[in-house]
Amino acid sequence: MSALPPVTRAGNIYDLGYRRYEGPRLGRAHAIRSLLVHSFRTTYGIGRSGRAKAAPFIFGAMAILPAVIIVGGLTIAARFGFDRQLDDTDLIGFDKYFSAITAIILLFCAAQAPELFGRDQRHGVLALYFARALRRSDYALGRLLGFMLAVLVLILIPVFILFVGRVLLSTDIAGSFRANAGNIPPVLAQAAVIAALYGGLSMTISAYTPRRAYATAGIIALFVLPGIVAGIVISIGSSAVGTALVLISPNTILDGTNALLFGGSLPEEYFFISVPTWAFLVAAVVEVAVVVGLILRRFARITI
Amino acid sequence: MSLIATSGLTKRYAGGITALDGLTVEIEPGIIGLVGSNGAGKSTLLKILLGLLEPTAGSATIFDLPVATRGIEIRELVGYMPEHDCLPPDMTATDIVSHLALISGLPRAAARERTAEVLRHVGLYEERYRAIGGYSTGMKQRVKLAQALVHDPRLLLLDEPTNGLDPAGRDEMLELILRTGKEFGIAVIVASHLLGEIERVCDHLVAIENGKLLRSAPLGSFTERTGTLAVEVEEGREALVERLTARGLRVAVDGPAILVDLVDEAPFDIVRDTVVELGLALVRMEQRRHRLEDLFRDQPAAAAVAAAATARPTDDGPPASAR
Repeated sequence: MSALPPVTRAGNIYDLGYRRYEGPRLGRAHAIRSLLVHSFRTTYGIGRSGRAKAAPFIFGAMAILPAVIIVGGLTIAARFGFDRQLDDTDLIGFDKYFSAITAIILLFCAAQAPELFGRDQRHGVLALYFARALRRSDYALGRLLGFMLAVLVLILIPVFILFVGRVLLSTDIAGSFRANAGNIPPVLAQAAVIAALYGGLSMTISAYTPRRAYATAGIIALFVLPGIVAGIVISIGSSAVGTALVLISPNTILDGTNALLFGGSLPEEYFFISVPTWAFLVAAVVEVAVVVGLILRRFARITI
Repeated sequence: MSLIATSGLTKRYAGGITALDGLTVEIEPGIIGLVGSNGAGKSTLLKILLGLLEPTAGSATIFDLPVATRGIEIRELVGYMPEHDCLPPDMTATDIVSHLALISGLPRAAARERTAEVLRHVGLYEERYRAIGGYSTGMKQRVKLAQALVHDPRLLLLDEPTNGLDPAGRDEMLELILRTGKEFGIAVIVASHLLGEIERVCDHLVAIENGKLLRSAPLGSFTERTGTLAVEVEEGREALVERLTARGLRVAVDGPAILVDLVDEAPFDIVRDTVVELGLALVRMEQRRHRLEDLFRDQPAAAAVAAAATARPTDDGPPASAR
């Protein structure tokens, strides 16, 4: 810190003068990109205090841990000469891994989505964004896409570890890569569906609920309640209402797209479902579209 | 080219509050003071100019660009300092200002460079690497000014920039505004309810009250000499008033002072001679200047009418389309 008295400092500024900016102005696309990057960094607490990093990194570690344990277990097994058998077993598939970390992704969304839309509204930052050369929808999309990207990364890192571990520990690396390569498109597709659906839904709640605690509670309720209600309705015996609820509830939609993309079948509890599995993908797309519309509407109307 | 021109600008909020009521004004570049009491419509006017609010009726242009259709181009040329808190407490001044520079379209390197420059300009040094949550009000106001300047605007809209500052902070903020306007050639509009402050930095004043234009004129004409001579004597005031009236002057009494209408230079001599004739002790004899406060005191009738219109918006004109 400088020990100079303020008066002397003021004299210094005076001498430096003001320079005009004559360089390029890159426009709205640049603004959206900058918002996207900023949202991604804010979600992970990069460039923020240690406290802001705690939640995203704890949830990140929890999502990665199972993958690390599996790969570690495979390594030890390989040491003891069980690699031949391991090639044939399917310890935990990518599709199962997704279902396993769903709860962690949910918590991550509930904790971090309010850091973006909620924070901007609570602290009045929206006025600074909307007073700049961009549209309100540019702001909303930049923030939303940045958060979806952050969720996508959270999902893909453990899957990547799992993939690399499987391939490298195999006795026949090239062969194992070929065998596992078929998993890449469905893995990416399912990860994208999860990121868009969870990211979009949690950002919608936080856009309409500036208060942090309410937003977090709202997001968890939104993810959990429809599934519970669906269970009750089904146990009572209404399969039509049950089907509708299953096609609305984000968790059950993901079960459906998981079955569709990995070529599996729906778990037993969906015995009452008579719709094809691609209906779940359509439901996901529709839900994301609705959610984006709601977010755009919120920021088009908000007064600051 | 006019800096800002509005025509019949009206804003009614849901609930029937009329913030702006047919405001028509044209403003030339310079440092412009936008004065009015709280709720006069200053913030509403600034927000409409920025496209943050839609007017209920009327139109406005900045740099001859219509606000309704060319908002993005306008906002590229304008920097805005809101009245309320608008800074995320867990970011540093450097981070938020350079982020907002990027949003304004500056490339990364330029954003970083200009951030350092404007923060130095507003007088933030080492503290710019600390989280804003720990800043004093004065430092926050400086950051708010810096973010309005970082993209090198041609016009600054400052909403109550001295809000919450102590006297020293106010002086520094006003000095910054003055320097920004005079040396950088950036037009500035300063909205404030503190006439004494506005007076120190502005060269043009726009006074609004209840959403209506009271007056728009160069600062000098607000404070110019008036046709009043104030005379104070120790005693014998009644005798003096009587004698002056007898000599054909128009005289009024205002507290301890006698106010004499000035039509030409003659009253000076007449008052002096009369005081001598009566043998009175003259305490003071001065030509009165209009004070800025008179702006609002002189118009009780207009203000009352406007206030009544605000209270009962459906009484005159079309009913507010409140939904």
